[in-house]
Amino acid sequence: MISREELRHLADLARINIPEERESQLVHDLAGILKHFDELKSVKTDAVLPVTGGTELVGIVRDDTPSTLPGKTGVELFPESDEGFLKVPAVFSD
Amino acid sequence: MDFKKLTIGELRQGIDAKSFSAREVVMALMGEIEANADLGAFLEIFGKDAEAEAEAVDRAIADGMPLGPLAGIPIALKDNMAVSGKRVTAGSKILERYVASYDATVVKKLREAGAIIIGRTNMDEFAMGSSTETSAYFKTKNPFDRSRVPGGSSGGSAAAVGAGLVPAALGSDTGGSIRQPAAYCGAVGFKPTYGAVSRFGLFAMASSLDQIGPITRTVADAARVFDAIRGADPRDSTSTDADYGNLLNPDMAAVKQLKIGVPKEYFIDGIDANVARAVESALDKFRRAGFSIKEVSLPHTQYALSVYYIIMPAEVSTNLARFDGIRYGRAEGAERLIDIYRKTKGEGFGPEVIRRILLGTFVLSAGYYDAFYGKAQRVRRLIADDFHAAFDPASGVDVLFAPTTANPPFRFGEKSADPLSMYLEDLFTLPVNLAGLPAISIPVERIAPEGGKLPVGFQLIGRHFREADILGLGQWYEEN
Repeated sequence: MISREELRHLADLARINIPEERESQLVHDLAGILKHFDELKSVKTDAVLPVTGGTELVGIVRDDTPSTLPGKTGVELFPESDEGFLKVPAVFSD
Repeated sequence: MDFKKLTIGELRQGIDAKSFSAREVVMALMGEIEANADLGAFLEIFGKDAEAEAEAVDRAIADGMPLGPLAGIPIALKDNMAVSGKRVTAGSKILERYVASYDATVVKKLREAGAIIIGRTNMDEFAMGSSTETSAYFKTKNPFDRSRVPGGSSGGSAAAVGAGLVPAALGSDTGGSIRQPAAYCGAVGFKPTYGAVSRFGLFAMASSLDQIGPITRTVADAARVFDAIRGADPRDSTSTDADYGNLLNPDMAAVKQLKIGVPKEYFIDGIDANVARAVESALDKFRRAGFSIKEVSLPHTQYALSVYYIIMPAEVSTNLARFDGIRYGRAEGAERLIDIYRKTKGEGFGPEVIRRILLGTFVLSAGYYDAFYGKAQRVRRLIADDFHAAFDPASGVDVLFAPTTANPPFRFGEKSADPLSMYLEDLFTLPVNLAGLPAISIPVERIAPEGGKLPVGFQLIGRHFREADILGLGQWYEEN
């Protein structure tokens, strides 16, 4: 149901390195789990609305007032920062 | 004084009556935690802070200041809730060095109630597991038999309460992660209605399913902790207030009128014989006391596992995308941005987390979305509708009675090799999360740790925001 190529594609979409020696186990695990999902095919759901979240509350808002973290700003937790800004490697590079 | 056996109610009385001080309680229990280090329940004890907080409570008592309902009560936190200035790892290597810069709303509310945050407990990595074996740090043992797992994912919290190291701990429950470990460790585990407790400051696993709740020694204590942490929070748009009625002093005459439903789909052949016998004996207690009990049907129960294992990983794959090495921990040795993402996640996440991220990415990907995720969202409604029909105010029941788990606590490694067998552990607990209902796991009987017997729990499931029904019925069970 799922090939090694598909697994690599998923890992690429999820931006996760998967060592080659773990690929076959993952393919095996995912195939087993996906096979279990086949049972859903027999359930009639044409007239059923999807559940799109844990609550049916709507229009929940709070005051649009700025707040800051107490004490530290949070920047000190970043792996890399520069003068209070988050630093990332160049997004566009060769 | 042996504080290991005392409930929150008894500890509160003793502190108020000055039979002992909050400091004495905290120091004695921290001693017990140290003495039981091999249990592996705690990742960290907040020693000096907890001591200082206890001293502040004792000063307030000496000065005759008004006290909160949990004043002086030590409470442990599952390690996925933020405490300002403390590490919070969610059981993952990827957050090994992360220090929270704010208090989760539940932590803020516990502090306002006077509770003392005593430490953070071990858990399955990002709450993904049913045995606490996926923690990146160490294994937690079951206090009733140390060769067995404590359940999961809130295994550290449940083991701590089950062993008497704390009177209460918080856990989080996405598919059973409070109730299943509580059942395995002889404790009470309570998952409130979705939205009853703010999730602000909880590391999200699956946002439409996650809920914070207490693990305690008694149902009355679960009600006390829930009463302190519930309520709408502007920082969690899914949280809300409700009229819960009397949570702490249930009207037992009204409780006796509650109609109990027994869903036949939860009493299947695969249940372990000892578990089945124990759960039946609990039901018998209600029956003998004259409660109205009838069989009901939740016909879509069999699909809950598939629905859950599509929706949960889908939400996991989006919620965990942010651990990309930019704002949190970063793997060494990558230069390009894309390589930082890939290497950080590949090295930082354990196998179960990676499995679920890939599964979630698959069910959300173009071409498979409708067949898997869209389908699961629809069947989720059918599962929720089953419960609503059973709870119909005109002809239905008020509370459902079910086993919490099909089996007793299993041995280490027994289910690690086969993910599906581990997922089946959640069979009786996860439908409740799909429907957002409140549910509590209660020990069938009180047994002594390491006496050769293993704990069994049964579950009471209630209507949305009718926690008073299941807490009331649970307190009746304990008192009779």
